Amino acid sequence: MNKKSEVQVDEKLVREIASLARLDLTEEETRMFVSQFKDILDYVSILNEVDTEDVPPAYLSSANKSVTREDEIEAPVATAEFLKNAPQSKDDYVLIPRVHIEQ
Amino acid sequence: MELHELSIQETYDLLSSRKISSEEITRAYLERVQRLDPQIKSYVTVSEGVALEQAREADKRIKSNESLTPLTGIPYSAKDSISTRGVNTTCSSKILENYKPFYDSSAIKKLKLTSAVLLGKNNMDEFGMGSSTENSGFFTTRNPWNFDYVPGGSSGGSAAAVAAGLAPFSLGEDTGGSVRMPASFCGVTGIKTTYGRISRYGLIPLVSSFDTIGPIARSAYDVSLVLETIAGHDPKDSTSRVESIQSYSETLKKAENLRGLHIGIPKEYFVEGLDKEVDASLRNAIKQIEGLGAEVIEVSLPHTQYAIPVYYLILFAEASSNLAKYDGVRFGLSKRTGDLMDVYLKTREAGFGAETKRRIMLGTFALSAGYYDAYYLKAQKVRTLIRQDFERVFQTCDALITPVSPTTAFRIGEKVTNPLDMYLSDVFVVAVNLAGIPALSVPCGISNGLPIGMQIMGPHLSEESLLRIGHLYQSQTDWHTKHPPCWNK
Repeated sequence: MNKKSEVQVDEKLVREIASLARLDLTEEETRMFVSQFKDILDYVSILNEVDTEDVPPAYLSSANKSVTREDEIEAPVATAEFLKNAPQSKDDYVLIPRVHIEQ
Repeated sequence: MELHELSIQETYDLLSSRKISSEEITRAYLERVQRLDPQIKSYVTVSEGVALEQAREADKRIKSNESLTPLTGIPYSAKDSISTRGVNTTCSSKILENYKPFYDSSAIKKLKLTSAVLLGKNNMDEFGMGSSTENSGFFTTRNPWNFDYVPGGSSGGSAAAVAAGLAPFSLGEDTGGSVRMPASFCGVTGIKTTYGRISRYGLIPLVSSFDTIGPIARSAYDVSLVLETIAGHDPKDSTSRVESIQSYSETLKKAENLRGLHIGIPKEYFVEGLDKEVDASLRNAIKQIEGLGAEVIEVSLPHTQYAIPVYYLILFAEASSNLAKYDGVRFGLSKRTGDLMDVYLKTREAGFGAETKRRIMLGTFALSAGYYDAYYLKAQKVRTLIRQDFERVFQTCDALITPVSPTTAFRIGEKVTNPLDMYLSDVFVVAVNLAGIPALSVPCGISNGLPIGMQIMGPHLSEESLLRIGHLYQSQTDWHTKHPPCWNK
């Protein structure tokens, strides 16, 4: 957690994260996030106080093991009903934006 | 007495003796919603057509006396993150504004099987991110007790609907207090269930390792009727608990006192910053519980102060992953412009509100290379310590009592400009989700016309015992029978 104090929260970092998160932030949002991120990251740094040397992480909320179930066939969803939620469709398919590959 | 004033059991008694039909009671609720909800704004969708159709089905079933339960023919509403086939399920987000699921969540399916009647879907903070419903992508729900105040969040619409007599019960969802806090702010009873006790199948996820569905109603008894209907193992949710469920309402009918029960009072929850009136109400309530025969002891949960940072770090990380699927490709809002990357960027920028973006950003950061160990992993380790705190106290206690919130409801607008301040209002509720344990919120006072809530927490799968404590407390007190001014309108 010591790394935290080294984090320089500035507009450059916020823009980088926004790009990773696929968010096209406005200038105003970018500026607002810079100051709010500083506050929030400062606040969570309180966890540095806690010694977690031999503590395992708690990933699961219950003691359940991985479970399987019978693969039973149910009535399928009608294609037309499924396609009602698609932004665009053609024939029986979801129409998606062209995948553009930059050279 | 007006129809909306009846409890679930009273309504069912009238239905099953055919003094009234489900259609009549459904119409009465729909009329009330139409008249009062333009001010309270607890519903984002009113499913009138579906409701009347389901009510007529219920009436047929009652007429032929076909496997009835106390929820047959009873209207209800559900938080808008719980999938309802053919009825808009938006999570109060513009990105899902016109989304109609093609399947029912398991909880809704169980209510359908007993012919309960869906009135509509309740407003919430977008995807459950907030403590006031001010982060809804559509509008802010008002607290029925005072329209200038928030109803709490994120299941604010559910709690406000129940408090204002716009639904006898509602299904809420609790990720970090989202059932308990609004229940407390609106003076109704709500339970955050053990993680896995109610199937999450069809619940649109916020934080998959915290999310739980939980009913909100007007009494612990009414909550028990709903819980015993929707709880239980579901093969469609791999984290769902396999243990069988009890008939909670039968237990409550037989409950007499709390003799032999040990109730812990964690000292970390009665500290500076706790409103004086909230403190006094809680101490009164604890005396009453003692009067019912329980033995009260002070205990300590030493890692309490770390619950908020741990909760938010894990939330940011899991929420940012869960919300990656809203990309404008297969469903939901889609800004079809430019190439694929432009579609992603424009869709997500237009579809998500400020708080959702903030949390996606923080989660993306916390999970990014170089910071994972420092934030996400560290939080998961401290989460283990918080869980161990609870395991330790539950060796000597059957339940713990604390306030739900350090204050009563706050004013609309008071905390929107300061997200950190908003996060801190969750201080007493998030630890329960970190540990995956159940907790009940029951009304225990009123201060300046706004309700105060008591939180009763217990070990995993102790719902029956928590409801028993809540029910016996409510048999001795009348806080849960007090209603906001709009109740009689």
